[in-house]
Amino acid sequence: MADTSRHILGTYDAAISALQNDLLMMASLCERNLRNSLGCLLNRDEDLCNVTIADDEEIDQLEKQVDKNGIDLLRRFQPVASDLRHVVAAMKLSGNLERIADQAVNIARKARKLNRAPLLTEVSFLEPIYREVTTMLSDVLHAYTEANIDLAIGIPARDKKLDAMNHEITEKLTVQMTKFPDRITEYLDLVFIARHLERAGDHVKNMAEDVVFAIAAEDIRHMGALRPGSAADLLGEKAVEPVPARIEEPPAA
Amino acid sequence: MERIQDIESASTVAPAAAFPLKASAPHAPAQRNAFEVTTLNVWYGQKHAVQDCTLNIPERTITAIIGPSGCGKSTFLRCLNRMHELVPRARIAGTIRFFGQDLYAPQIDPAVVRRRIGMVFQKSNPFPTMSIAENVTVGLRLNGIGNRAYLRERMEQSLRMAALWDEVKDDLGKPGVSLSGGQQQRLCIARAIATQPEVLLMDEPASALDPIATMKVEELIHQLSRDYTIVIVTHNMQQASRVSDKTAFFYLGRLIEYNDTEKLFTRPREKQTEDYISGRFG
Repeated sequence: MADTSRHILGTYDAAISALQNDLLMMASLCERNLRNSLGCLLNRDEDLCNVTIADDEEIDQLEKQVDKNGIDLLRRFQPVASDLRHVVAAMKLSGNLERIADQAVNIARKARKLNRAPLLTEVSFLEPIYREVTTMLSDVLHAYTEANIDLAIGIPARDKKLDAMNHEITEKLTVQMTKFPDRITEYLDLVFIARHLERAGDHVKNMAEDVVFAIAAEDIRHMGALRPGSAADLLGEKAVEPVPARIEEPPAA
Repeated sequence: MERIQDIESASTVAPAAAFPLKASAPHAPAQRNAFEVTTLNVWYGQKHAVQDCTLNIPERTITAIIGPSGCGKSTFLRCLNRMHELVPRARIAGTIRFFGQDLYAPQIDPAVVRRRIGMVFQKSNPFPTMSIAENVTVGLRLNGIGNRAYLRERMEQSLRMAALWDEVKDDLGKPGVSLSGGQQQRLCIARAIATQPEVLLMDEPASALDPIATMKVEELIHQLSRDYTIVIVTHNMQQASRVSDKTAFFYLGRLIEYNDTEKLFTRPREKQTEDYISGRFG
């Protein structure tokens, strides 16, 4: 059989690479914005807040570009099988990335407001949930680029952990509100920030589901957390090796 | 037990003892297999065109056969109504059962097989000397039916089923070849269904048609699938994906994968299938 790594049409390979590259660029900006959003709160950095809010525009434009590339690709090539799944997944992943970036903007706006008030030591309550959600985002992107179905399947269970962390933070902050009612507005902002992080986790979970669909053609939405070993079950019937997303080398400087 | 039949000597087949196939009961509750193909092998001289092909085709479904040129898909299709026997030095091994009965049993008359299992070809081929009406009824007349009222009724019914009646009802006496390419193909489909076959085999029926005519033929295939088992060979994978319930992928004479169309085009089991349908070889 001929070399099967490349499409007969070079224009198809170019189109899918453009789609993947825009998506991965969007993912890296989104990761950075999420990281910055809490960084500007923990470091009380107003400039970083402004940068985070402004950078969202670029992510919005990339979302539109990914959708345009995806629609063009569907129109021109009518892909099937894993190609079709990867195009559909890329378009859905971009939507979730854009929403995660929106959560980062929400956090940055609240951080900017909080930074103008005296420091609240309870900001540190947010660090564990922040670390978890950023790790989850990083993992789901690795799962996508490396076609690592085990990594993707583990995400929904981690999202449940995130929900529990959010609940715990809310309870702790509610206690603080009763102790220090004069700072209730700031505590409420922290509650909302925890909520934004939890919502970002929901989008990461959605992304994990899309990644599993792209790799294994299985729809795991609304199935709860999958048990260990599910990946083997999902791939069990499938003789085709998982196809990782293709990443084009950046042009030499 | 495997039986090899030399087609060149097939002229010794017993003459048309009534083709003893039982008619399929209309609206049978459980879906049966129209065809059960077991270890089918076909040779043209030394060329082994189809190798060890086994699959079942359920009744009243549309089954698409895809694969690159020379993969054996048309040969397979022609074996389903013994059309391959018209090719010199063709040989066949294995069994093909049609509603449970061996199509290649000695008492089976190939002409009757072809009446019960109709065929539509890539290039529309209306008889040039015949009118539209005569083209539709030629099969019935060749089978000895002369009742004009019945012929007229079958002609109209077939043209209506082929979605052609409204376009030709005022020109039934005109030559069949005076129609457009798409109309000619639908005329051939009307001719094929006039003899009331149970199965329609279609060998790239829309490959020579423009997109609108292609869609009309596809819609017709969809409508006909309520009453007929349809097997269609196509090079157009979007067409296979649109019209069929099941798809078989052939490569180098072998059946690589046979599955529900939705599964084959979203989650093929075999890498060769994935590579072919996604344009990575062919």
